[in-house]
Amino acid sequence: MGIMRMGYAHVRVTDMAEAKNHYANTLGLYEVLEENGRVYYKGWDEWDHHSVVLEEGGVGLVKFGFKVEHEFDIDEIEKKAETFGCIVERMSKGENPEVSDGIRIHTPSDHLFEVYHGQTMVGTEVGTHNPESFPRHLVGVGVPAIDHALVTAEDVKGMERFLTETFGFYATERVQTSLEPDCDYIGTWMTGGNQIHQLAVIAGPQGKLHHFAFKLSDWNEVGHAADLFSMDDVPIDVGPTRHGITRGQTVYFFDPSGNRNEVFAGGYTAYPDRPVSIWTPDQIGKGIFYHARELNDRFTSVLT
Amino acid sequence: MPVVTVHPSGEVIYLDPDETVLSGLYKAGYAYAIGCRRGGCAVCKVDCLSGQFKYDYPIADTVLTVEERSDGTCLTCRAVPKGDITIEMRDENLRLINPFLRQLNEKARIRAKSVLSGTESKEQ
Ligand code: FES
Ligand SMILES: [Fe+2]
Repeated sequence: MGIMRMGYAHVRVTDMAEAKNHYANTLGLYEVLEENGRVYYKGWDEWDHHSVVLEEGGVGLVKFGFKVEHEFDIDEIEKKAETFGCIVERMSKGENPEVSDGIRIHTPSDHLFEVYHGQTMVGTEVGTHNPESFPRHLVGVGVPAIDHALVTAEDVKGMERFLTETFGFYATERVQTSLEPDCDYIGTWMTGGNQIHQLAVIAGPQGKLHHFAFKLSDWNEVGHAADLFSMDDVPIDVGPTRHGITRGQTVYFFDPSGNRNEVFAGGYTAYPDRPVSIWTPDQIGKGIFYHARELNDRFTSVLT
Repeated sequence: MPVVTVHPSGEVIYLDPDETVLSGLYKAGYAYAIGCRRGGCAVCKVDCLSGQFKYDYPIADTVLTVEERSDGTCLTCRAVPKGDITIEMRDENLRLINPFLRQLNEKARIRAKSVLSGTESKEQ
């Protein structure tokens, strides 16, 4: 099946002590490794070794990892990315702790995507034998897993083509300048499976991170997360509200270095043969924030 | 007990010691264009026309360039005044959104001033 999911987000933080407090105590991720100035985390329902990597120094995105199902998927994606015109490097096992060999793609949007086929399996916190539904003693929000990310790029249409041709992704929703075939794209929400989006791209500067998101299951959990953010003095950007695009329920908030995070619940089941939902620029406010129906000035300006 | 003066409109806002410019302005009931509040997005910059401030956290090079570290650029969510400072907003004016807080801040500033000049003890 090629790419299964976004497996890890590796970001920079200015202050590791505060970042650790946020990701471990407010979000409730489990610290699995600290090595060479990097701290590695997983959510309770993730079985692979880690899904979040923090690195001290600066802010913003270092790279994303995407996990493929089979080792041979790597060779295919490598060929496709090279055909597309990307610079692709081989990476060897252990360059990222507990991660297999794979490739490193410099995307047309100036982001770094790693594609790998294996990560040390440590198991979920509930195990596989007659598992309970969730761990009894979660910390803070207790996020189960990472979910998706949104990045910015100058050429959204080009990124959609890149993700289609190399990753086998398809668009579930899009913001277009018009309904005409020669229109430009302002944003695209893309996936490789039935998850409503794994990676979204909106128009903006090259190489920037808009946010990366953690999965929750419903409105109640999203509301509860927002309550905890107030208790922990986490700056809330927006929400709780709903996205018109994806229909997901959300809170946007900032980590202690200013990287935007999201908790995201819901979103309908995606299929490649479902017609793409198209939003026009006059309705983008409603598409992004379904209740306020307008963008705030931070949505397009606050990037790391 | 630093005081922030906003040029050219002339608002005078009292800050608690070790408080950032952003936090002080918001606590005094004002709002302006800000983003992450955590030093990451560069949206909250203003110009510091006089006075000195410091950063208690490392600031990413992507947020403040080398020049901006010495040309008076003030990243308000991280900048802590070392004494009284005067700032100027960049593309938007300061908006008063909570006048109740403004009144409290004004009282705190006058109280601090009188403590400093010894007038309070004379009044008692
Ligand atoms: S508000 Fe983001 S850097 Fe100050
Ligand atoms: Fe999102």
